[in-house]
Amino acid sequence: MINTLMLIDDENLFHLVFEDACSILDMALSFEALDSSDEADRLFKKWFPNDPDHERPECVFVDLNIIGSSFDGIEMIRKINFEYGDGVVIGIISSSEDEEEIERAKKVGAQFWIIKSDDIEPRLEDFMGDYEAYKAKSAPFKIYR
Amino acid sequence: MMIEITEHTRNVLLEVAKKKKIYVEGNFLKILKAPEGDEEFEHYLKICKEKDVNTRKKRLEVTKQVQQQNKELEAAAKENNRVNKQLSKALDETEKAMEEARVAEKEAMIAKSEAEKLRDAAMEDLDSLQKRTQFELMGLIVRVALWVILGVGLLTTALYLYVLSTGADSKIIESTWSNLFGILLTNSFSIIGTIMGVKYASSSNSNKND
Repeated sequence: MINTLMLIDDENLFHLVFEDACSILDMALSFEALDSSDEADRLFKKWFPNDPDHERPECVFVDLNIIGSSFDGIEMIRKINFEYGDGVVIGIISSSEDEEEIERAKKVGAQFWIIKSDDIEPRLEDFMGDYEAYKAKSAPFKIYR
Repeated sequence: MMIEITEHTRNVLLEVAKKKKIYVEGNFLKILKAPEGDEEFEHYLKICKEKDVNTRKKRLEVTKQVQQQNKELEAAAKENNRVNKQLSKALDETEKAMEEARVAEKEAMIAKSEAEKLRDAAMEDLDSLQKRTQFELMGLIVRVALWVILGVGLLTTALYLYVLSTGADSKIIESTWSNLFGILLTNSFSIIGTIMGVKYASSSNSNKND
């Protein structure tokens, strides 16, 4: 089970869907949802360089296009991986299947890409099956369709 | 990190569940641990988890429905927007076409006016050409007639002089010459009058055309 799970997505309704799906699947002990990459950036900036012992999210799901934010999900992943220290399982959750974007995400260190749809639970279940490998950084990049 | 429940808390939780039907829910359940061998509390925790999962399933279902409705509304709004844009574009095009039609109408009016002017000018030219042709024809007729009169006069006079010089009977030729000369003189003045009239008419017409 994931200790702390974070979702960064501009769609608040999806926060509820994701939280309930995670809870039903017994995925995480605690869940935090943010609707802006700027807010996430502020939190990570606070946690990672200055307070490395702070309870940080163990796994982060980032939406590709976060409306109303200064930068998109791929840039968020780049910042977390390259500016605020690595160490979290991180990937994209999006309805997009754009090959170029997927390549961009891979380059910045995204570990997975989950296609967002009405029936999200089976994909999250598959993801949980691979989670330990992601945590150990031994799993290859995977797209959950 | 798990929380082991004390005897007092355990009893209160079971009592509240039995009497008030209130159960622990949420992620807190995941860190609650039943005391070793406490089957009753283990059963309680199992019920709590089942209730929690059922509640979340119901909420998830409703949220998904709302999400679906939102998507449909968004799609409908997009479609509305697209149709509105199309209508707006069509309206713009219609207005543009109307404006072009107005301009074309104005141009057609101007062209019509110019065509009418040209037609009037052509009619006037034709009219004056016809008149000139008529006057020229009349002048020709008058000149021919004058020459005929002059010719007849000269011929009759020459005949009369010949008769006088030869001493032949000149009674018939005398009266003939006299009558003919009178007629010719009258006709000559009439023809001269006609020529003057034609010339006057020609000159006033050419002044008009100028």
